[in-house]
Amino acid sequence: MAQDSVDFSSHYQFWMQKLSVWEHASTSETQQDTCFHLPRFQEFLRQMYEVLKELNSSTIIERFPTIGQLLAKTCWNPFILAFDESQKILIWCLCCLINKEPQNSEESKLNSWTRGLLSQILSAFRFDTKEVDLFIQSLGYTPEDYCPGLLKNMVLSLVSELRENHLNGFNTQRRMVPEKIRFLSRICIPLVTLPDIEPLVEALLTYHGHETQEVLWPEFFDAVNEAFLLKKIFLPTSAVVCLWLRHLPSLEKATLHLFEKLISSERNFLRRIEYFLKDSLLPEAACHPAIFRIVDEMFRYVLLETDGAPEVLAAIQVFTQCFVEALEKKNKQLKFTLKTYFPYASPSLVMVLLQHPKEIPQELWLQTLKHISEMLREIVEDQTHRSYGGPFECWFLFIHFGGWADIAAEQLVMSETESSEALLWLLAFSYSPRDGSLQRAQTMVELKAVLIHLKKLFRSPTLSAKDLQAVAAESPDRDPRPALCQQLSRRLLLNFLLWAPGGHAIAWEVITLVAPTDEITHEIIGFLDQTLYRWDHLCEDAPRSRKLARELLAELHASSTSPLNVGRGCRDQDP
Amino acid sequence: MESLLQQLERFSEVLAVSRTAAVSAWGPAAVRRAVQWARYLRRAHGRLRAALEGRRRAGPRLGAWCGRDVVLSARLLGNRALGAAAHRCLLRLLFPGPAAAPAAPAAPAAAAAPAALQARLARLARRRAAVRLLLRGGPAEDAALRAQAELLRRRLRDGPAGGLLDGLWARAPRAAFLRATAAALLLDPAGPAPAELLRWLLGRADALAALCRALPAARLAALAARHPALRRAYLRQLARWGCRLRYDLPSGRWEAAAPAHVSWAELRGRFLSLARAPPPLKDAALAALEAWSARDGAFRVRGLSVWTDLLLALGPGAAARPAPAAPPRPTV
Repeated sequence: MAQDSVDFSSHYQFWMQKLSVWEHASTSETQQDTCFHLPRFQEFLRQMYEVLKELNSSTIIERFPTIGQLLAKTCWNPFILAFDESQKILIWCLCCLINKEPQNSEESKLNSWTRGLLSQILSAFRFDTKEVDLFIQSLGYTPEDYCPGLLKNMVLSLVSELRENHLNGFNTQRRMVPEKIRFLSRICIPLVTLPDIEPLVEALLTYHGHETQEVLWPEFFDAVNEAFLLKKIFLPTSAVVCLWLRHLPSLEKATLHLFEKLISSERNFLRRIEYFLKDSLLPEAACHPAIFRIVDEMFRYVLLETDGAPEVLAAIQVFTQCFVEALEKKNKQLKFTLKTYFPYASPSLVMVLLQHPKEIPQELWLQTLKHISEMLREIVEDQTHRSYGGPFECWFLFIHFGGWADIAAEQLVMSETESSEALLWLLAFSYSPRDGSLQRAQTMVELKAVLIHLKKLFRSPTLSAKDLQAVAAESPDRDPRPALCQQLSRRLLLNFLLWAPGGHAIAWEVITLVAPTDEITHEIIGFLDQTLYRWDHLCEDAPRSRKLARELLAELHASSTSPLNVGRGCRDQDP
Repeated sequence: MESLLQQLERFSEVLAVSRTAAVSAWGPAAVRRAVQWARYLRRAHGRLRAALEGRRRAGPRLGAWCGRDVVLSARLLGNRALGAAAHRCLLRLLFPGPAAAPAAPAAPAAAAAPAALQARLARLARRRAAVRLLLRGGPAEDAALRAQAELLRRRLRDGPAGGLLDGLWARAPRAAFLRATAAALLLDPAGPAPAELLRWLLGRADALAALCRALPAARLAALAARHPALRRAYLRQLARWGCRLRYDLPSGRWEAAAPAHVSWAELRGRFLSLARAPPPLKDAALAALEAWSARDGAFRVRGLSVWTDLLLALGPGAAARPAPAAPPRPTV
């Protein structure tokens, strides 16, 4: 407690000094300094209220003899009064100063003075001439009625002046000078969360002048971005896009904010990821290539940092989907080629990947997948021409459209014919891009074996769990299979359970056999959620499989013992 | 509902008193009652308004009651005559502190009201600070005028209009009233209020004359462009002014008969402004000038007709098509 009061005293001195500086000079530097300190000063006011409310008036004066000065200087500073809740907290502090039983004329005078300050916050500073005041009174209205209308109209005037700047172009007489625009952006910093000011904020953001350098204060962008992320201001998407295009740190903060939300949300819930993504406006904003590239870069970074965590993969996939949706809506207006979004990728590959499976008849999916596989393989295995980046770049591009890999697994399980090499390669590549060709070949052989086994069982009306256990379990007479193969086998097995006619009867049993650890359970939950999500988007009509998937998902959620912990990824392998 | 309207009337008396020294007789209990009344009426007003959404009958009268709780609070806070104990009670009622923050939407109505009033008063303080900050960027006369015009319109819409405008003409500061009237007639969108205002203005010769005299030429041109009835009245007024000018041969200038009369320069300025307006107005003004000049003989000699000289002063660009209707006759 003692330490707190020492801290508080030194803060008190600090702010007293600041207020004096701000009071005496009203240059753009002091205004900038004021705006910078507003949030911290509000914190200080809050702390001060907590201290003051425990004391009576006389004690307050004893302890803080200069408090009257401090509060008065605060009252006279419109930047502080304009910010957030500072005016409210200031009023609370002043109320504490009122003496309940003034013993002498000193204390009465203080009361009177405090009363004056209180009413000043709400009603002093005449905006207009006395004549106008009388006129308003004669109408039967008060300054309290006049103020909101005045503010609204002032904002409207400024907005139309800013908009006119576009129209007047080089007609310098009617243009708003850059200094004034900069000044307005500074004024808006404390006011950003006041709804009356929103049209002005929007007009400033979308203002495109003829100056070569940015005319708005960077702190303005910060303040708007912060308020937008905390949902304290509601702006049209076009204004937000302007904000992010003009101020890179805001875009980065917005993306990080999204990542934080995704991490802390319930794992494996793709619908919720989609909601957060659309809510953030980032996919829509990403229709502008500069924004797309930066957001994509940040996704790439997180992916590498988390070693390819499935949650991040899922987020990238959903982001791309929302992005493509937005792009299609804007198709008439935007004129950016695909190359501007994916500069390091083969354009033909991008075109193929961009196709929505919904737009391709199901019979042709196999062909499309083979095509994709061939194109990828050509790029990856071509040692001489590294024009389209190495395996990682290729893979990073592919996982944006990761739904194709899931469809490949489905197709492999469901097709009657011999497993296509191309699809096997695609599946192996999507799970492990960095494998050498030998390793990958081995994986493909393993998978082929599993598939042969599964296909034999596919048409049987009745199955037993034992039949399938062999697929997933370790074989005693072979080397333990690498984790990748196990994971892929599980994937194929799960597809089998969902699609094979006899699968639903034994599904739960098989899963319990195959998922001894929480990690694997979560993997299966992820798979089921992703599959259902994909079927919804494809409008896949498979009622039996869908029902089974839902039931399994529900049972797994219910039986899951450990708290769903997100973001650990593959790195978290402790037993 | 009649009883509610009666309560509102009684409250308006309280509101009127709250500004005067009579509050020195109010103790804490009286303050509490007044604030509670204000809160109750606000809630009742809100519900009533919602219920009367479609019906116009009591709607207009109710509109005048918006935000009266804030007005009462601000007045009492600023009233020096309020006793110390009553003032402390007022502070407790208006600013209960962070404990009363309206966090949960499911908070009971009784708890929500104090916090809501506190929030509104804080918002008023914030808005005032916003205006102060914006004014630092330069004066905002246009915005101020529009805000006053909106209040005037609101008063016309909300209150019983009979005698209102006459009363304002008699009591309110004239210049401010005229400026606000002009601004109200230029606001979008048009509604019933401006029609009433226009009717009154056209019916009161002294107000109309004062309006034409007080406002700058450009503003009157805008008014005349928007309202054809005003255009005719304005032209008549200009004709009246023009007829009072006398040509002084020695100096070769048109002089006003008395210092209070409109000067030649001002008259010319008015017509210049009209000549710069878009066609319907411009054509009407020029046609009037032509017609009046013709009645005076249309001699292209300076000093014989003020209208001819005005036409000459407007320059070669002042060619007009003949107006379809006869222009108002100039009367002396």
